[in-house]
Amino acid sequence: MTAPTTAPTAATPARRGLRVRAIEGQELALIGVTGLLWVVLSLATDTFLSAGNITNILFSVAPIALVGIGMTAVIVTAGIDVSVGSQAAVVMVVVALLVRDAGLAFLPAVAVAIGTGLVLGAVNGLIVAYGGIHPIIVTFGTLNIYRFVALQIFGSEQVAGVPDTLAVIGGGMPGRLLGVPTAWWLTLVLAAGMWCYMRFWATGRHLYAIGGDAFAARLAGVRVRRRQISAYMLTGACVGLAGCVLIGSGGLVQQNVGTGLELQVIAAVVIGGTSIIGGRGTVLGTLLGALLVGTISSAVTLLSWPTEVTQLFIGAFILVAVGVDLLRERRRSAR
Amino acid sequence: MTATRVEAERGEGLAARALRIVLTERVVLLAVLLVVVVVWFRVLGAGGYLVAPYDVGYLGNALESMVPFALLALAELFVIVSGRGGIDLSVGAIVSLAGMVFGFMVGVWGWPLLPAIAGCIAVGGLLGAVNGALVAHLRFPPLIATLATYYAYSSLALISNANGPISTPPVVALHSLTSNVDLPLLPPVPLHVFTILLPCAVLAWVVMSRSTYGRSLYAVGTNDIAAGYATQPVTRTRFTAFVLSGLLSGVVALVTVAQFASARPDAGIVGNGMALPAITVAVLGGVAIQGGIGRVGGVLVAALLVTWLNAGMLLAFPEGAEGSRYQLLALGLVLVLSALLNTLALRRYGRLS
Repeated sequence: MTAPTTAPTAATPARRGLRVRAIEGQELALIGVTGLLWVVLSLATDTFLSAGNITNILFSVAPIALVGIGMTAVIVTAGIDVSVGSQAAVVMVVVALLVRDAGLAFLPAVAVAIGTGLVLGAVNGLIVAYGGIHPIIVTFGTLNIYRFVALQIFGSEQVAGVPDTLAVIGGGMPGRLLGVPTAWWLTLVLAAGMWCYMRFWATGRHLYAIGGDAFAARLAGVRVRRRQISAYMLTGACVGLAGCVLIGSGGLVQQNVGTGLELQVIAAVVIGGTSIIGGRGTVLGTLLGALLVGTISSAVTLLSWPTEVTQLFIGAFILVAVGVDLLRERRRSAR
Repeated sequence: MTATRVEAERGEGLAARALRIVLTERVVLLAVLLVVVVVWFRVLGAGGYLVAPYDVGYLGNALESMVPFALLALAELFVIVSGRGGIDLSVGAIVSLAGMVFGFMVGVWGWPLLPAIAGCIAVGGLLGAVNGALVAHLRFPPLIATLATYYAYSSLALISNANGPISTPPVVALHSLTSNVDLPLLPPVPLHVFTILLPCAVLAWVVMSRSTYGRSLYAVGTNDIAAGYATQPVTRTRFTAFVLSGLLSGVVALVTVAQFASARPDAGIVGNGMALPAITVAVLGGVAIQGGIGRVGGVLVAALLVTWLNAGMLLAFPEGAEGSRYQLLALGLVLVLSALLNTLALRRYGRLS
């Protein structure tokens, strides 16, 4: 099942006159918009193009992009996971306490984080696959339950004074490799792997088939439930890594950590051209979407506008990105 | 199909019949649960496990927190029943933004109360109409459209007064709208239960169950293509559902401003926001996320159940944030379990009230 297939188009819906291209229209448009923003901003402010600011943008985007990798897979299967913020809270409090009180080393800490994420994701996946409940209801429920679990472990206190074990992938100076945040290298490697998986592996293509029509996919021999569970587990693992990155950038884990992460991630995925009704989308788009969101919030800070304006822009970009996609879809089906 | 079901129902025993009614009639199940919750906390109280008496007066007071969530759950009812993945994530943001506008109208521009109230509800309806236009006319997926407007509205609410609340004397004076009223034979109950919640609930019931629009909404939510062939105005029906949701959110904005005695820009979006509990209450009340199924009565009883359960847990876990923590757990479990129950009832009986 996991052998690479040489027929990447096997499960894609037929697109007339289009070969599968490495970069699709929406992604090109995103690159264009982000590039344009960068040019305008570097002309309008003298600090935007500084190495420090670029590194900041890249780092602030890394957790969103990391979780976005898993979220893309989930949304491609016509699912959604709104519990990632609470998952991050559970992962972070567990890892932070273990690192601080049990003196966990780097690799075991990362392993614990990924393991915790996998378990939380598996719970989501199992309920979605076997419960017959809409994923948004399932994950709204687990959003509350996981937040409860995290708060229970916190025990009414924040976790302060976490040692810098995880700083290697954090936001500070130790977390740099060739001048770029290590977290961003990690994101790139994972995204590249996921991009290849979803494009060239049979089971990766199955994700698209499930999103297109789960019933037809099952008739065609796709193990729908197994793929769904694996997508949610992957998201959990990504949340685990993102949690490590966040712990690595500061010694303090607060109780409200992760609130609102889900909306940022979904925004990045959707701006990246992934269709919320499933069956279409790429990890590359998500990466670009996350980068655009990061650029906007950096721009708002540098232009010293109120930070709340960022949300207004994110909302507008979601509408534009999805609107353009709807137009293209309508033209495609009209042809 | 119907004939065999009637045959089957005639032949079943008393226990099977009770099970079927409890599973398919959501109001009955919720009423049973409500009695269980109240009795359970009464027993806990009698055993000395609660820090304050869980008595009729306390329950009456607790209704204050029920008003916003019951109203927003009704808003979600309209939108979710309209089908095609209908959901409104922006209700909390509408509450914030309409509340800020209300605060400006009363507290800064010095409008008289009645035009300001009308204005606040109209702003809610307008913001809902934006959602409706995006979803019904431009065919955005509801989740995405309302996610985007959630961002936009909450951003506007925060910017409108530079992230600060409006609590000038005219706004503070609004608090009297939510004071308790003494009733003969009954415990004191917050005034706005009668002045706002009951009229809205009755109106919602009339719209859903006694109007052509309601029938059209159920038809569109069940199968919009079939409804289109049956000459139902699909686009307009769906659009109106979002407008109704916005209007109800405007009413909630009014209530929250009066409750806090201050127009707060983060009123509807702080923490997990107001949309999430509202959707939970709606689903618990038997609204099926696929659309076309759901009733006003179920949603109201569900709101009452969640309110009194939460009120009880605050007494059972007095220590600091512990009570609200367990409220999260209960909300999550109740949501998943009630959705599982919906699925079960649909699979077993092929229908859900």
